[in-house]
This record gives sequence, structure tokens and C-alpha cells, in this order.
Amino acid sequence: MRDMGTLLEQLTSTFDGVRARLDDDGRMRLEAEKESVMSLLSFLRDSGFDFLQMVSCVDWIDRGSMELVYVLSSYPSTDGGSGDLLYCILKVELPRDRARTVSVIPLYECAEPYEREIHELFGVDFHGHPRLTPLLLEREYPVPPFRKDFDTRKYVSDFFDSIPPVEEEGGAQ
Amino acid sequence: MDRNQLVKWLESPAKMGHKYSLHAVYFCTGCGIIEVPPSITARWDAERFGVLPSASPRHANLFLITGYVSVKTLRAIIQTYDQMPEPKYAVGFGSCPINGGMYWDSYNTIKHLDKYIPIDGWIAGCMPRPEAIFVAVTHLWTLIDKDMADGYKRYRKHYAAYRANQEKALPGLDWPPLFPLEGSE
Repeated sequence: MRDMGTLLEQLTSTFDGVRARLDDDGRMRLEAEKESVMSLLSFLRDSGFDFLQMVSCVDWIDRGSMELVYVLSSYPSTDGGSGDLLYCILKVELPRDRARTVSVIPLYECAEPYEREIHELFGVDFHGHPRLTPLLLEREYPVPPFRKDFDTRKYVSDFFDSIPPVEEEGGAQ
Repeated sequence: MDRNQLVKWLESPAKMGHKYSLHAVYFCTGCGIIEVPPSITARWDAERFGVLPSASPRHANLFLITGYVSVKTLRAIIQTYDQMPEPKYAVGFGSCPINGGMYWDSYNTIKHLDKYIPIDGWIAGCMPRPEAIFVAVTHLWTLIDKDMADGYKRYRKHYAAYRANQEKALPGLDWPPLFPLEGSE
């Protein structure tokens, strides 16, 4: 198994502006600028993190930023049979009003549905994504519905309550 | 066969046939579907009541909507309901189809299902036990006996209103109306 400490030193010396630390349980936490995502992820992939578990997104409305969270791990077989998993969490902040970044599909193909979902629910634009078409939602929303400034109660009263009940005289109900 | 019901059988055999062979669509939405496997298998044995799951909506006449309805599911529910042959009975199961339940302020959950398709009865609760399904089935028998389970007739009669609501919830409804819109209200 690779020594996480040397990997950490390598990372901080190679990439500028990467804040990295190691948790007690051996997990690595990285924070990086959005410009260095591709080079950082390709470096991580070559050093054993060959599986992108998920991409997630957090809306920090007070800070005015959207945070993308890439959770990376390794397949156990690549560890020389030791069976230990490598874990790494990479966080990237984007400005909230211009939330766009580059798609990581060239490195990790499994990022496609995650990025599509984040585009739909958080309104983050992924440059280079082959199809950013609706995945889960059927309707158009005023704001992407997982953003913090989307007022669900107002939306419910504006839309769902505006649909009239069907008039039924002499029905069974 | 119950001898007391002999007159009913002779008077309207079709109605009695509908009553005692309620075939439910295999349609899973939400969490309520977890109550259906014990109901149709040996523990509660829905076949005692003539309720059988049916693989195709074209062979079914009972539509159990077993949980919260998202906007995407509503599309499938309307399509399934339109495909079922008449007479057909729709039963909302659990509190979510009634008024949204715990998803009352969700952006993507339909709050009142009876605005989009006619519902013949509701089973309240979160979750209703399998016994509640059988209470509902026996209640539905009474309604069928008295010609009060008339959801499919109301659907024909008020189809224009139902269709308008469906089009509001689902922009770009991509199938033609089931019934002519001019005749209905």
C-alpha cells in the first residue's frame, strides 16, 4: 500500500494552492481551486485512487459559493493484495453566481450521472459534458430546486395549490 | 358460494364478477408497496378476497397507489390508469396520495392525487397495515354493490377537467386525449 504521508507531501509540493491533511483513520482531505481539478484528479488516479465513488454538491449560500465534493477510493486489488482501501475527499469551491466547472468524465466515466444530476438540481454547469438533459425532474423550476434560495413552500402554494379540484356533483366521495 | 347472495348473482352477474375478482396492477410507488408482498402471500393471503396481482394494467381493474407520487410517477400513473379496461377502481394507499403527507412542502411531490385521476377510496395511515387493505377491499365491495365506486364514470364525465389538470402538472403531455374533450365537462 502506498504511504499516504509521502503522497500528501508529493501533492502539496506539486500543486499550488492545495490544502491537504490526513485524518486519523487514514483518509485524505483535499481542498483545491477549480482550475487544478483535472490535473489533481489525474494525479490522484495515477497514484491509486482509481474509483470515483460519487460527486456531491453543497450550497453555501452565506459564503456565496457552491462546493463540489469528489469522493475517491481505490479498488482493493490495486493495493498489492493488502485489501486496505484508500480514501480521499476532494472539495472544490465555485462562485455561486457563476457556477461552472469542467467535467471530469474524461478521467472517471462514472461521473456522468452525478454531474447531470448536480446540473439539474443545483444549476452547476459542467463544461464538456455530453448531455446535460433533465434526468429526474419533469417540470421547469424558477431556481434549481436544491439551491438554498429555492422557496419550496412558496412554490407549493404557487403551483400545486393553484391546480383546481375537479368539480364533482353527486359523486361517491 | 354464499346462498344469501344468490339473488345478487342472478340479478347482475357481471357486477358480482367484478367484485370478487379484483386484479391489482403491479405498480410500485413510494414505500407502501412494502405492505403488498405480505398481503398477497401466505401470511395475509389476499386471494381469499379475490385480490390478485396482475402483471399488465390491461388485465387489471384495481389500482393501488401505494405511496407518495412524484411528478414523474404521475405521468406513469395516468398512463397506467388510462390503459386499464373499465370498470376500474383506484384506491389511494397511505397518507401521501391524499394530501402529500410528510411531503406536504416538497417541490416535486403531487399533493392531491384526486385532482389528476378519480379515486374511489382512500386508505389513511402511514403506513396502513395489510389488514387495512382488506378493510378497504370489503368496503369497495359495498361501494360496487351500491354502484358508488363510479370513478371511471366520473373520469369520462369530467375528462376535460382532469386532462387540464394533468397538462398543468406535466407540461408536454405527449399522448392524445383518451376521450373526446368536447363532450365532457
